[in-house]
Amino acid sequence: MLADLVQNTLDGLAAGASYALLAVGFTLVFGVLRRVNLSYGPAIMLGCYAATFVHLHYGAGLLALAAICVLASVAAGAYVERLCFAPHGKGSAIAAMVASFALWMQLEEVAMLALPRHLYPFPPLYEGGPLAFAGFTVRVEALVMLAAAVTVCALLWGILYRTRFGVAARAMIDSPVAAELAGINVPRISMGVFALASAIGGLAGFLISASVEQVTPMLGMWSTLKGLLAMMLGGLGSLPGAVIGALVLGLVEAHSQWFLGPQLRDFIAFLLLFILLAVGPRWIRSRHG
Amino acid sequence: MDFYFGLAQIIGVHTLIGLSAYIVLLTGQVSLAQAGFFAVGAYAAGMLTVLAGWAILPALAASALLGAAVACAVGFPALRVKGLMLVIATLAFGEGVRLFFFNFDYQVAKGGVKLGPLGGEGFRQIRYFPENGWTTMDVMLFIWAFVVLTMALLWWFDRSRYGAVLRAVGEDELAAQSVGLNLTAVKVSAMTVGGAIAGLGGGIYAHYTTHIEHASFGILLATFAIAYPILGGLGSVFGTLLAAVFVQGFLVEGLRFLGDWRNLLFGALIVVAMNVRPRGFLDAPTLLWLKRLFARTGGGSGAA
Repeated sequence: MLADLVQNTLDGLAAGASYALLAVGFTLVFGVLRRVNLSYGPAIMLGCYAATFVHLHYGAGLLALAAICVLASVAAGAYVERLCFAPHGKGSAIAAMVASFALWMQLEEVAMLALPRHLYPFPPLYEGGPLAFAGFTVRVEALVMLAAAVTVCALLWGILYRTRFGVAARAMIDSPVAAELAGINVPRISMGVFALASAIGGLAGFLISASVEQVTPMLGMWSTLKGLLAMMLGGLGSLPGAVIGALVLGLVEAHSQWFLGPQLRDFIAFLLLFILLAVGPRWIRSRHG
Repeated sequence: MDFYFGLAQIIGVHTLIGLSAYIVLLTGQVSLAQAGFFAVGAYAAGMLTVLAGWAILPALAASALLGAAVACAVGFPALRVKGLMLVIATLAFGEGVRLFFFNFDYQVAKGGVKLGPLGGEGFRQIRYFPENGWTTMDVMLFIWAFVVLTMALLWWFDRSRYGAVLRAVGEDELAAQSVGLNLTAVKVSAMTVGGAIAGLGGGIYAHYTTHIEHASFGILLATFAIAYPILGGLGSVFGTLLAAVFVQGFLVEGLRFLGDWRNLLFGALIVVAMNVRPRGFLDAPTLLWLKRLFARTGGGSGAA
């Protein structure tokens, strides 16, 4: 029983590690621009499909595939930003969200026109089996993803606190109007933030696809929902919070799967989010968009 | 002809779910829970006619009431947050409802066949209309009777004190509060009315498709629900109707000949529509223009 509990906790943390990067990218856009980008997941999916397409037709190494994933996600993200977020200025966060939802269908359709089958193989990240110690197992892929999430967070911290771009982005968090008056090119910084978030998403998509060794059309919606859930659980707009929220989400899912069965796993996650938002502590409710 | 009646059924039900989001949007709140209320209504009405043997009208009344009750119960905690946080809270609720029905089994043997919701398989054989010999046209007229009724009700709300209260809260909460409006009561009441409309729409939907499953009530439907009033404009209930016709009639059915390419154009056209008309098809200047136009042709009686 205790052994199961420990193994479930490890599995939960491993799942959380794969949500962490997704949540960091989502949080970056929400934190700086105060916008919910529903097309975040589908843009990642498009990146993964582009990499799979190259892998199937031409064959390429893992690093090249990762680069394709990131570049295609950034391209898709830029497309979404130009069409959905740049034209809708202050006060129309909802219109932007609906528009990003319309592009969601479009991006998924592009991906499925290129690769119409329900499931495609993706080259594995790591060929060996899971690490075992004291009777418990941990997948190497999970460790890689956790390390990637922490590294990306550290890099982002450096960008946000040590560069002019970061200062401008943080000024926009405090007040977009004041930032504009101070001579900050708000549209350009927004675009930069968006590209950065898409790149992180693309990396997340690559690591996830390579660790489950397949891509399916469900990846888009899955990425958006998991990123959103983890971001909300971690308290909005905080990067370390996003990582912690992702790990909490993984833990909650693993344990509710063990105690209540796989069918109720997602239900519990959404229920928890609703309760936290509606009656939960101040820190999660106070920072509304 | 049946094809057009079928299309009119779809547009009618989508108009209803759009209207359920419309009244909530009037108070400035964006709810992605409408698909959840719709699902509750669909399952409730289906179970009442199939398992309990109710007639369609009482079953629809019950599904509307249940939708209203659930919306009211969700509204109190959820409306403590606003803006994008409310969007996410209601999205979580809607997905929760969908996943609840994904796990919901309640089957009863009827005449040698097991009927009722069966988890991921969905709820088949909601055959009230075919069993009672309704033609496609009957069903279509039945649906549109409810659409017209609901639109008339909301149109009347708009011209009553209640509509003014809703819009006051939507325009400026602080100002509304300072003239003595109870914000929570106003928002929860709008949510409740919206829940009733969504529950009604869901009950109708369950009966004309005869087969419902959890996947139909996901984030896709929830976003469509708020897309109609936003696309159509919040100035008038006719905006929502216009948007439902535009999306379901033109974008979904009209472009079907494009095959796989339709969905590519579909997303782009919605985005273009949002960018060209950020305040919806029927925004305030357009409504004013229409009013003048009708006033002139109507011999200056100003009937419109």
